[in-house]
Amino acid sequence: MPVSLPPTQEVSVSARLEAENLYKVFGRKPAQAVDRLRQGADREELRADGTTAAVIDASFTVEPGEIFVVMGLSGSGKSTLLRMLNGLSEPTDGHVRFGGEDLTEISERQLRDVRSRKISMVFQHFALFPHRSVRDNAAYGLEVQGVPRAERERRADEALALCGLAGWEKSWPDELSGGMQQRVGLARALATDAELLLMDESFSALDPLIRRDMQDQLIELQKKLKKTIVFITHDLNEAMRLGDRIAVMRDGRIVQIGTAQDILIRPANDYVASFTQDVDRSRVLTARAVMETEVRGDEADCACETARPDTPFTELCAISARVPHAVAVVDGDDDRLVGVVPSRRLVGFLGDETAEPGTCDSPRDKGGKVMARA
Amino acid sequence: MPRIPLGDWVNSTVDWLLDHVAWLFDFLKTVFTGTYDGINAVLQAPEPLLLAGIFAVIAFWLRGTFAGVLTFLGFAFIVSMELWENAMVTLALVLVATIIALVVAVPVGIWAARSDRVSGIVRPVLDFMQTLPAMIYLIPAILFFGTGASAGIVATLIFALAPGVRMTELGIRQVDKELVEAAEAFGTTPRNTLLRVQLPLALPTVMAGVNQVIMLGLSMAAIAGMVGTGGLGGDVNEAIGQLNVGLGSESGVAIVILAIYLDRMTSALGTQVSPLGRRAAAKARSLGGLKIWSYRPRPQVAVIGVVILGLVAGGMGVFGGSDDSESVASGSKVGEGKKVTLGYVPWDEGVASTFLWKEILEQRGYEVEAKQFDAGPLYTSLAQGDIDIVTNSWLPTTHEQYWKKYGDRLDDLGSWYDETSLELTVPAYMEDINSLADLKGKADQFGGKITGIESSAGEMGMLKDTVAKEYGLDQEYKVVDSSTPAMLAELKRAISKKEPIVVTLWSPHWAYNDYDLKKLKDPKGAWGQGDGVHLLSRKGFAGDDPTAAQWMKDFKFSEKQLTSLEAEINKSGKGKQQEAVRTWLKSNPGVVDKLAPVEGGSGDTPAEAKRPVDVAFFPWDEDIAVSYLWKNVLERRGYKLNLKQMDVGPAYTGLASGDLDVNFDAWLPYGQKNYWDKHKNNLTDLGTWYERTSLDIAVPSYVKDVKSIADLKGKGDLFDGKIIGIEPGTGQMQLLKNQVVPGYGLEDEYEVVDGSSPAMLAELKRALAKKEPVAVTLWTPHWAYSEYELTKLKDPKTAFGESNTIRNISSKQFPEQYPQFTKWLKNFKMSEDELGSLEAEIKDRGQGHEEEAVAAWLEEHPDMVGRMTPQ
Repeated sequence: MPVSLPPTQEVSVSARLEAENLYKVFGRKPAQAVDRLRQGADREELRADGTTAAVIDASFTVEPGEIFVVMGLSGSGKSTLLRMLNGLSEPTDGHVRFGGEDLTEISERQLRDVRSRKISMVFQHFALFPHRSVRDNAAYGLEVQGVPRAERERRADEALALCGLAGWEKSWPDELSGGMQQRVGLARALATDAELLLMDESFSALDPLIRRDMQDQLIELQKKLKKTIVFITHDLNEAMRLGDRIAVMRDGRIVQIGTAQDILIRPANDYVASFTQDVDRSRVLTARAVMETEVRGDEADCACETARPDTPFTELCAISARVPHAVAVVDGDDDRLVGVVPSRRLVGFLGDETAEPGTCDSPRDKGGKVMARA
Repeated sequence: MPRIPLGDWVNSTVDWLLDHVAWLFDFLKTVFTGTYDGINAVLQAPEPLLLAGIFAVIAFWLRGTFAGVLTFLGFAFIVSMELWENAMVTLALVLVATIIALVVAVPVGIWAARSDRVSGIVRPVLDFMQTLPAMIYLIPAILFFGTGASAGIVATLIFALAPGVRMTELGIRQVDKELVEAAEAFGTTPRNTLLRVQLPLALPTVMAGVNQVIMLGLSMAAIAGMVGTGGLGGDVNEAIGQLNVGLGSESGVAIVILAIYLDRMTSALGTQVSPLGRRAAAKARSLGGLKIWSYRPRPQVAVIGVVILGLVAGGMGVFGGSDDSESVASGSKVGEGKKVTLGYVPWDEGVASTFLWKEILEQRGYEVEAKQFDAGPLYTSLAQGDIDIVTNSWLPTTHEQYWKKYGDRLDDLGSWYDETSLELTVPAYMEDINSLADLKGKADQFGGKITGIESSAGEMGMLKDTVAKEYGLDQEYKVVDSSTPAMLAELKRAISKKEPIVVTLWSPHWAYNDYDLKKLKDPKGAWGQGDGVHLLSRKGFAGDDPTAAQWMKDFKFSEKQLTSLEAEINKSGKGKQQEAVRTWLKSNPGVVDKLAPVEGGSGDTPAEAKRPVDVAFFPWDEDIAVSYLWKNVLERRGYKLNLKQMDVGPAYTGLASGDLDVNFDAWLPYGQKNYWDKHKNNLTDLGTWYERTSLDIAVPSYVKDVKSIADLKGKGDLFDGKIIGIEPGTGQMQLLKNQVVPGYGLEDEYEVVDGSSPAMLAELKRALAKKEPVAVTLWTPHWAYSEYELTKLKDPKTAFGESNTIRNISSKQFPEQYPQFTKWLKNFKMSEDELGSLEAEIKDRGQGHEEEAVAAWLEEHPDMVGRMTPQ
């Protein structure tokens, strides 16, 4: 795929996004409700008064070039949280800072300017304008910025090509499949060269296969573009696949922030743990998470195959099958030994079992010998 | 529960608004009428078929060949029904109402879509506007905007606004929230979100709203006809008023054609203007392939077609328009193009008198507009000064309430017709019900119902408050409020099924002509005196136009004149009232000059006046009176009259020999028959100026062997033993029953059937249609004699008494010597009142003071000079 991005793209350094103690309360007297929440009142108490606390005390930082996934079930407040980040929903309390600007302090007009230039958004149901062609949809953000027609069409076509839609510019949204429509949505978001990309369950409405495709494509694009991305999903698999870091939300609060493996291996509480049960660990875990770090030092001294800390779990299994002993994990240019992965441990991780093996009353090996002697 | 005086509050609010915010209403009125006049002028200007062609091209462009062809046929059909002009009036009205409705509705709808609070306020207001019965705001609309287009537009607007607002709000609200959010997420300003996302996507729904606005506007147009808006609504109104189902359906079908056209065009336009619609249409077309019936020209082609047709139309309008400006310079055009607006309630006598005056005033150089109203709006407009004249105000009873309310803002120019009555009426087959008293105890028969008319009508008030109580009917009967057309329809239905029915009716009314009905006698006189039909003007009309006001003050119409004119109008059919009036005027020459005499200058003396006129007169009251009257009047015109008193014989001899010129007092055909017969070859009959009704029995002329009343004897079977009478108790009926029937020995064979004049006429008409024998009571003169071939039965025993007319006779050469005077004489008529008062004046002053008496009497009757000697 030929990629020719505008020069600004290459040199731009995405800014850091900070959310600090964000609250969003719907209903009467929101400020009062925030005070009560600070004093420890919970969501149910407020609901009795007819106010709904959608987001409670959310703080996080998204580093430039990072994909930050917010994961939670519906009603957990993740979409509201996302909309506070670009000001579509005004926080009841707290601050959002992006690129050195406090978005909660600036005027509506300035906020609109930030939205049109620095932040763009991809929606769950694509939100393509049915009365505009694919090209005009992709060019929408540029049109709002006031970019002249010729230039915005050129940039829109580039963005479409980037998303694999070259040749579809003159089509209409209703002529495209769901996946292609979302590519248009993505192209529309990318065309403005915004540094921050907010993606609201962007792949949830797609078929599983197409969803995979899109996730892969997003990862590929991110490698080139290095945007700052906040991605909302209710699917932990997707979160773990895409997210550099993941925030798990429940009932309006962020219950845990960490890498995929943090969450999988060290869930903050039972709620998060129950989430992780269904996760396909083999896709998430790497040697780093599985290995035993108490090493003797000589495990890698043989000529056997070794693994590296970021070797995926499945590959690790394959190596383990080929190696007669525990697989050594080496790191760095000097192939320093950092841990070993006994095959028993691999099996334990697959079965989500961390306990050491117990003892057997009549071990099969011995019995075999007795049988042989007899 | 305390009475909450909501009505009073509304009244005072309306008054306050009228006093303080009139400028606003005036401004709105200017806007409305300006727009309306503009559009109407455009629509009325071109040849109908050409404009139909333009409409067809538009349909061709928007919907294809088939629609274009249908459009042309539909509009050509309207043209052929002669409803084009009215259809265009209605179209203009609806278009203006639609444009204004959209100017208001779309912004309000947008506002309501963006604010729940506004939406919450707007919704009940819309409900209110849409469900409040139209009549309730039609009247205030007149108060604020006057009659005509603007009131109609306002009424239509109020009714049609709601779907515009609702559909705009709905359209915007149903735009996918995510799309709006997407627009906002890319930093779109609220204004651009509306213009670039919400409105384009809401457009199909908004256009559906436009469509609804137009449809509701059209349906309202019929109702707006009641406030004098005219157009097809006026036609529909008039048709139902006359129970003329045929005409009603013609106008109805025309409305439907307009409706379908506008509906299809606006929905197609909706597709054209909305990007989504265009896409859908393009998709559908690409599937369908090329078909001749759905072929649509490119917009450019259509525009060129419309422009060419429009230019041709405009060109023809310009050249055609110049024809109208020809006007004959004439001394009689005293109107000098002044505008007079006549309003009328579409009752027969109202139509007749209004169009009569329209014609007369136009002949006199006025610019006249005739507008049709319901009674309430009519008085409101008159009081407002929107219309100048109302010719059929029934006073003092029927329209009493309006007179009470608006009387101080109106001028009564007097009654021109006095023979009216209010009554309860039953079909003639209700044989045992003849008087109001007979109704008592028969409630079961009638289902306990008296079918009434509009509850606001004075007659209904009288019926409920006085008549029903007087005859003790209020317990047994329920007076059902309804409407005149509904009452007539009910009556028609009952008659067709021969069911018992009792309805409120009034005379004169065509129902008496068309159906066989019986007015119930009112022995207690509960209905009171009959109304006079009055001519009212707005306050100050007499000051603005003393000439016309004087003409109208002097306006009197005889039953004969009225009935013959009504018959002529009915015969011509709707839309041709004025042509009917012209036809009638042709057969009644001089009426215009009589009703609208033009005062000539004193120097304007005809040449014939140089020769003195020798007038023979008999020493009888009426001859003295009329001779001195002519002397006075003609001397004002520069004539010289020598009055010579003589006996009848010498007078005839002198006239025949040419020694005398004229006599005004020939009692013919009986009184002076012998003299007339002797000299008639040397005399000229200049017509009658005073006639006593001769009373007759008449039979159709196909009843061959009955020529005199005596011939009726022995033919009782032939006539079913009936002589169809008129209102019982009239002098004629008394004479008939007491003198004529016994006088000819018919009392055993014939029964004189009480009824009414219209019922008698209806019976006569029915019999004539079936060529059945019938004997009816009639009198001379009566239009029935000219309308039908009747034999007036001779009365050899003069049982009805002598009857004569008083005629003008002159010498043979008089008409050549005095053509102008002859004309005046031929048109000269005098009423009983006038003659009586003049005679009284002369008698009071005593002999030798005749000239003084005439002068004094003329002071009191200032119109007389103009009437007798119009110029």
